[in-house]
Amino acid sequence: MDASTKGREEATRAALEEGKAHFVFRSERPRLLAHALGNAALGILIVVMLWWVVAEAMMFIRGVAFPTPPETLIALWEALRGADVNGESIYTHTTVSLSRWGQGYLIALVIGLTLGMAFGTLPRLHEIGMVSVYVFQMIPGLAWIPIAMLIFGLGETATVFIIAMTAIPPLVINTAGGIREVPTVFTRVARMSGKDDSATFFQVLLPAASLSIINGMRIGLANGWRVLIAAEMVVGVALGLGFSIYQSRYNLDFTAAFVCIVVICMIGLAIEKLLFVSMENRVRHRLGLDREDLI
Amino acid sequence: MTAELRNVSKVFTDPRRGKGLIALKDVSLKVEEGEFLCLVGASGCGKSTTLNLLAGFEGPSRGEVFFKGEGVKGPSPDRGVVFQESSLYPWMSVLENVMFSLQGKERKEERAMEQLNLVGLEDFAHSRPSDLSGGMKQRVAIARTLAMGPDLLLMDEPFGSLDEQTRRKLDNEVLKLWQRERKTVVFVTHNIDEALLLGTRIVLMSPSPGRIEKEWRIDEPWPRDLSDPGLVRMKEEIINMLQACPCANGAPSALIELKGV
Ligand SMILES: Nc1ncnc2c1ncn2[C@@H]1O[C@H](COP(=O)(O)OP(=O)(O)OP(=O)(O)O)[C@@H](O)[C@H]1O
Ligand SMILES: [Mg+2]
Repeated sequence: MDASTKGREEATRAALEEGKAHFVFRSERPRLLAHALGNAALGILIVVMLWWVVAEAMMFIRGVAFPTPPETLIALWEALRGADVNGESIYTHTTVSLSRWGQGYLIALVIGLTLGMAFGTLPRLHEIGMVSVYVFQMIPGLAWIPIAMLIFGLGETATVFIIAMTAIPPLVINTAGGIREVPTVFTRVARMSGKDDSATFFQVLLPAASLSIINGMRIGLANGWRVLIAAEMVVGVALGLGFSIYQSRYNLDFTAAFVCIVVICMIGLAIEKLLFVSMENRVRHRLGLDREDLI
Repeated sequence: MTAELRNVSKVFTDPRRGKGLIALKDVSLKVEEGEFLCLVGASGCGKSTTLNLLAGFEGPSRGEVFFKGEGVKGPSPDRGVVFQESSLYPWMSVLENVMFSLQGKERKEERAMEQLNLVGLEDFAHSRPSDLSGGMKQRVAIARTLAMGPDLLLMDEPFGSLDEQTRRKLDNEVLKLWQRERKTVVFVTHNIDEALLLGTRIVLMSPSPGRIEKEWRIDEPWPRDLSDPGLVRMKEEIINMLQACPCANGAPSALIELKGV
């Protein structure tokens, strides 16, 4: 079935007249894409307007210099052109943060996936281990600071540790949960076909749980990114987006803080949308779970 | 004799709530070589449990299960199951699903295609299960089970979720496969007509606790006519016994369906 050049209306009418059950028409992907982008833009606009209203209100009521959207945008533009943000260029702050985050996440992936797979396949271990995973998940980002400092002192390692610790629980929970929820009939088919445990695990359990595992990877990634500010409080060197936000408190450069917040949001959004949405769509497709994905 | 349940009881217990259920009580059943045995009975009378025991997915609480004279210890490719629910791996193509269960290493693709040929789905070898209708999926499931090369074919209401016409069509395909491949089949259904049209023997089970109530041998050749006086009488008898039994869980739905026929 190749794509038709006919429009939807025209093709529908033709099909009705010719009595055909299936017909094709020109894909409306561009229109749907524009529509989705328009809605997203509207959503962002609403948030920006809210921000603006709050900023003006605070300046009026409390007389504080609350950065407005235009001010922040201008500062962001300046920063992107190379202006200093809390003593360093925004690019340095960003690369340093991304690298810490990458290291923390990599460690979390190794530990989280391994634990998740072990918990998913060994019920006894699941019962023993899950409690602590849930406890770890409940520890707020800031609470990791004393723990990290006690174990590692001030420095990069402490930062990477905090990022890893917040990324691990969702990885474990989703990997173990995904494996445990694989329908019994799937494992029964493998067993009666004479597959051993390892073949069953790699050929059946993992693929069947892949969507859930990817979900855990995505939540873990977001957790690690969001904890950046807390994690960079213990970093010791004056570098990083999170550190910069924290620093703004002391030198009262709130615009710089807002610039960093915007950068953090943009990077998080980009990774979520570009990396994970496409990854999830591919897995969905492999699992035969395609739905009417519009874009 | 191919398979046998000898004085088998199956008990399910829920230690947390302190509740137990006797799903099967002292069931003895011999499955003869080459026969087409239909297991019928109200919902919850232990048909799937019986099949799971024969397949080796579960072990008996009392008694013993034998296959070809040896105790059953677990599932094995010589006892293939066609499950009631959709059991194809959605991330594999139809062909890959069949190849997954294929025994032996040489000419895998070719042999898998042969199995698909048997169920008339060679054109869909590279489709995804999600692109197939319910009936086609069950045909693939049958091809996959045949690919295991089982001596005993265990089918648990394989067409239970399909409409009557599709079910009749697939019943005929199964019958042809059985006649050609000379397998032993245990076929679970709660549709009496289906059992009468297919089986060389019908075993009626009754619930609470699950046990074997009665059995009938059918010597009619195929294709069978449901209006044949012998079959009509047998059907009446089965329905009467079904209605007489003190049915527990889930049974009413089976009765409502039967009253209509
Ligand atoms: N794993 C299990 N744990 C606890 N109870 C079970 C289990 N499997 C089956 N049972 C119970 O055993 C009884 C028999 O179940 P079974 O599935 O064999 O019935 P069935 O004859 O196949 O019914 P249906 O026609 O509805 O499929 C039911 O009461 C069911 O609730
Ligand atoms: Mg059943």
